[in-house]
Amino acid sequence: MSKNALTASAVSLSRNEAGKRFSHTEDAEALQELRAEVVGALTTDHWERPWRVYDLDAMSLVEVNHLVERGLMTPAFSEEAGEARGFAVYGNNQASLEINGVEHFHLIGFREGDQLESLWSLLSVLDDRLEAVASYAFDPRWGYLTAYPGKAGTGLRAYATLHVPALMLTGKLAATALELVGRGLGIAPLWGGAGGVVQISNVARQTGPESDIVAEVENMSRAITEKERSVRKMLMREHPVQARDQIGRALGAAQHAWVMTFHEAVNLISAGQVGMEQGLVEAPGLAAESAFSLMSRLQPAHIVLEHMEVKTDCLDSPEIDEIRARVMREVFAGAIVR
Amino acid sequence: MFAEESPDWNVDLGGSADCELCGEEPATMHLLRVVHGAVSHTHLCAHCAEGVAEQTEGLALVLAVPSVLRGLSKKSSGDQEEAAEPASANREEKFCGVCGTTLSDLKESGMVGCANCYRVFADHLEATVRREAEPIEHLGKVPIRGPESDSLRHEMMRLERMLRELVSHERFEEAAGVRDRLAELGQRLGGAEA
Repeated sequence: MSKNALTASAVSLSRNEAGKRFSHTEDAEALQELRAEVVGALTTDHWERPWRVYDLDAMSLVEVNHLVERGLMTPAFSEEAGEARGFAVYGNNQASLEINGVEHFHLIGFREGDQLESLWSLLSVLDDRLEAVASYAFDPRWGYLTAYPGKAGTGLRAYATLHVPALMLTGKLAATALELVGRGLGIAPLWGGAGGVVQISNVARQTGPESDIVAEVENMSRAITEKERSVRKMLMREHPVQARDQIGRALGAAQHAWVMTFHEAVNLISAGQVGMEQGLVEAPGLAAESAFSLMSRLQPAHIVLEHMEVKTDCLDSPEIDEIRARVMREVFAGAIVR
Repeated sequence: MFAEESPDWNVDLGGSADCELCGEEPATMHLLRVVHGAVSHTHLCAHCAEGVAEQTEGLALVLAVPSVLRGLSKKSSGDQEEAAEPASANREEKFCGVCGTTLSDLKESGMVGCANCYRVFADHLEATVRREAEPIEHLGKVPIRGPESDSLRHEMMRLERMLRELVSHERFEEAAGVRDRLAELGQRLGGAEA
């Protein structure tokens, strides 16, 4: 199995405070009280690593998006309003906590690579510690209670991010999607489907021990990765000229473009990565880091915060596309198609 | 980072609960197509979804997620029964005394307002959200600080499931041990609740 196909893992846990109404029906004052109580607990030495608490009201659009782009915050939470929301990051970005979003507490863990089990272990420990200050809304039959009843149960969502351009290109992802649905899992494009990067997760499945859910997502990820590998082989065998042509063109654009959108960059990196894994491409710059890591740092807020001296608060600035093209030229310098 | 949530987590009020292709079967699949960056959504029955999947070629991407909350939409079977009731019944609409959420609110937003809603709207939730779930009891983690009765009930449900398995495999001796343990926990539960 190509070790690069499972590019990232994430786990989240949804919980609510027993004595309070859910966020959308509770008074702002009660939610603020809850936030203050939890933030107070996060800043004690009760934890193995410290929490860094953020003041969301004082953050710029780019700073909030930077958290989303790093998998520390969900897009839905970043777009919600409400003065009682709170946010904190654990240790060295190992996990994060959204407070008073759709649910009172949403613990998140995100890491590159095949890390679902270790993320679940970490989140379970943090969940237990958080319970020292919170009293979770729970029902023996329903499990952990959530604002959306379809999510009640374990409250756990396990996500595996996969790089499957060959399955997407050949339309074979459709059959895979149907198979996933039958198991209560779902599949969604991560960046509008660019580069064949998709995310699978337990959309409907909430019953069963958490470890079973995590194992199911892991097993399906591996099965999809195997399919991707066999389809790539088939493409190389049956369409060798077209495959080289597509990869060669991608390298040409990556080495010579002066303006590049994020979606285009993801597509080009994806092609370069496939070429490298199939032994068609030598790209020392790309080989030095994972394709997913390169894609991640080319997102708009990353470019603004890591490359621009004057930090714009506009994520559509043309300068972002220019800087992205420059980074691509640097990474792909010296890359060749064999 | 996380993919955008499927719109299925929010009830699509304008959408039909029937398959958008054949219009006959219930729409249990949500197909999301991304073609050249343009996203479109379709709600289909399993049969039609399979047909669409087979026909998909080239760069057209078909993705599917289950319409788990479809049952909460206006056309669910439970609603059809309620629709037959006279309009005056609305005046006595079921509502949650803790958060004020009414059954109409729940049907419109797909959200409950508090933990108590799970008791108030139990029938509706059982008939919609849980209708496709295999085991109806929670098998995962339980709160550490929850009442003792919660963990006892959880353990009893686990043992009841084990008992059914043992009986179906005719392992009666082991089943008897589990039954005794269940009786013991039942007594403890009675004490804890008292």
